[in-house]
Amino acid sequence: MNRFIRNLAVATALATAMVGSALAEAHKKGGTLTMAIPQTPRHLNPAVQSGTATGVPGTQLFAAPLRYDEDWTPQPYLAESWETSDDGLTVTLKLVKNATFHDGKPITSEDVAFSVDTIKANHPFKTMFAPVTEVQTPDAHTAVLKLSQPHPALMLAMSSQLMPIIPKHVYGDGQDPKAHPQNSENVVGSGPFKLVEFKRDQHVILERYDGFFMEGRPYLDKIVMRIIKDGSARAIGLENGELQLSSFENNVRNVNRLKKADNLDVTADGYAAIGPIDWLAFNTKSSPTADKRVRQAIAYAVDKNFILKAIMLGAAQQANAPIHPGSPLSDNSVNAYDLDVDKANKILDDAGYAKGGDGMRFKLNIDYGWPAVKPQVEYVKAALKKVGIDVTVRASADFPTWAKRVSGHDFDMTWDTVFNWGDPVIGVHRTYQSSNIKKGVIWSNTQQYENSRVDELLEMAGKEADPAKRKALYAEFQQIVAEELPVYWTNTLPYHTISNKEVGNPPRGIWATSSPMDRVYLK
Amino acid sequence: MSSDAEKEFIEKARSPFSEAFEMFRKNHAAVAGLVVLIFIVLAGIFGPYVYPGDPFEMVWAPFSPPGDEGYFLGTDYLGRDLASMLIHGARVSIAIGLSAAFLTVFIGITIGALAGFYRGWVEEVLMRITEFFQVLPTLLFSMVIVALFGATLPMITLAIGLVSWPAVARITRSEFLRIRELEYVMAARACGVSNGKLIFKVILPNALPPIIVQAALMVGSAILFEAGLSFLGLTDPNIVSWGQIIGSNREYILDASYTVTVPGLAIFVTVLAISLVGDGLNDALNPKLRQR
Repeated sequence: MNRFIRNLAVATALATAMVGSALAEAHKKGGTLTMAIPQTPRHLNPAVQSGTATGVPGTQLFAAPLRYDEDWTPQPYLAESWETSDDGLTVTLKLVKNATFHDGKPITSEDVAFSVDTIKANHPFKTMFAPVTEVQTPDAHTAVLKLSQPHPALMLAMSSQLMPIIPKHVYGDGQDPKAHPQNSENVVGSGPFKLVEFKRDQHVILERYDGFFMEGRPYLDKIVMRIIKDGSARAIGLENGELQLSSFENNVRNVNRLKKADNLDVTADGYAAIGPIDWLAFNTKSSPTADKRVRQAIAYAVDKNFILKAIMLGAAQQANAPIHPGSPLSDNSVNAYDLDVDKANKILDDAGYAKGGDGMRFKLNIDYGWPAVKPQVEYVKAALKKVGIDVTVRASADFPTWAKRVSGHDFDMTWDTVFNWGDPVIGVHRTYQSSNIKKGVIWSNTQQYENSRVDELLEMAGKEADPAKRKALYAEFQQIVAEELPVYWTNTLPYHTISNKEVGNPPRGIWATSSPMDRVYLK
Repeated sequence: MSSDAEKEFIEKARSPFSEAFEMFRKNHAAVAGLVVLIFIVLAGIFGPYVYPGDPFEMVWAPFSPPGDEGYFLGTDYLGRDLASMLIHGARVSIAIGLSAAFLTVFIGITIGALAGFYRGWVEEVLMRITEFFQVLPTLLFSMVIVALFGATLPMITLAIGLVSWPAVARITRSEFLRIRELEYVMAARACGVSNGKLIFKVILPNALPPIIVQAALMVGSAILFEAGLSFLGLTDPNIVSWGQIIGSNREYILDASYTVTVPGLAIFVTVLAISLVGDGLNDALNPKLRQR
């Protein structure tokens, strides 16, 4: 019951804060926000599609039970309160009473149950709702999620990016939810904005939903999301004021340039739950990277600092562990493998990989899947030459070619970027659990890393309800993998949100713009 | 005819090459082009001995401007010596240019000679094939080849050769069509010279001049082609070529423009030199221009 009271307290505090800010009349209403999105979403329904391309417009169209502030604290959204039973096996959501879909029909617990079922059956992140056995609907505004085991990850999974509430009376018509025509047009959403028009390669236009359940929200009348693939074009648009907001910008040169513009705010805050980490992945089953000492030597020879300073131009954060440094569960005390060429040479000598006549010990391939990470790969090649490893860069013609090679375990090393997606259960476990070695599936455990203690720790941490104990389990896990290095983490992806100074409350929560923008306003 | 005039006539007729050289020498632009080209080729051959290290080695702070710490062309985004990359790249770029041009000429002459000599259905079939290759968008087609079969040096050369040969084939065919009707060919045929000998010993040597000119120009366009493919990232990342330097540095053009302009200039100068030489060869080898 404690938790219930605490949640109520949070809700009350928030309501007070809202009233306070309304009194201050800081939020001007109305206006059109023009923002850029870098790619055409496959469709607009995040219930059956992962990724932020769908998430950014999708989280405006659909509301979720919870939303998160900058401190990872859940806040009421469609659920005005929520309660986890003491055994952790029941999560009860009390829905707000006045919430309606964009067609005017009320949002009920039936829709919550339907949404969970749809996501469970269709979303690629299977671990999010795997322990949910049933969603009971004792009344129209109470949804009870029954779990087979305690599942703390559920809290973060109830964010808009991962658990949009979709109308049963629209998407429950028997059609395949992944190919439903109303994923792209005539979307009947539950969120602060409704769809006006979605034109591929052109724009997504959203309009204020007047019947939105939160009083006075959203502040904006309209959001125009222009689809602009070219980063330089977006940068120019932001500079000249044509665009007022752009998120997920990770071209560090553009970011650094825009930091100097007087009319723009540039921040790296707000991507902790997205949690993108760049790393050098090893094939732990093929020789010689199967040898832990070889992987450690490579880590000592590859200078994180060089990547952070010369390639990321200081715009990215150092990452030493599998959990994003912005997450409260991250353990940054692990060995960072600071550059030490002598040590790397010594480890390789001791491990019996003597230098040959040409000064080389052995050959390795390195793969990369997209052009943006080519500098990192070239750097690894040059850096490893200094310790006598002859690296050949393998180019892939396109992303699918790379994905096929890596998921088919046909690689020695590859550069990769993998996302945490909120809770480690969703985005971290998949890389290290031996049960997730799935040939042909990219971003599974393609390193084929196996450690029974790691499996055990992840299993336990996944169902540990006590935050302190959970953190301890994850800390031990991070110590082990940082010692065994199935992948060598270097940095976070330098995602930045760039907004014009006239934009008030640009999204700064842990999900960046993949969260409701009902509080954004134009000054 | 006086014996002096006769002698002079014979001498003139006997030395077509010295005559061609004479013509070439009169074309100052072509001579300048040749000098530059020889210099670049020498740099490609001997340069790596001046810069013996691995061009991929990081030697100094990234984006050091030209002249910094003795790196007279500066360093690129990973701190690699641009001068070293440029010299090593010369070798690759010229090698690709030459081998792609050779491949082009080989395919083009074979197809063109067969079509022009045998005529009839052979010509029909071969020319339709040529036209098929001619209407394909060349850059797109070569991109597809490289994307499908991997971005390795031989594959890039093959891709360039495969899309460039139709021009050579058409020139060869037209020359063959013209020459096969000439009297000395008729005479050879009447003497019972075999078809193979007719093609290779009688007609081809006389058809060569325009093909040589075309081949010379082909070297330049192959270098450009390789640069284009590299610029799009369709290149072997383990080999330095000029196009590859531009392609991987283009993102930094605002921060360090020299990383792009220097190899760009190298390509420009080389291709220009080749074009000038090709032009000079055209003057020298075209009999209609001799009396100009």
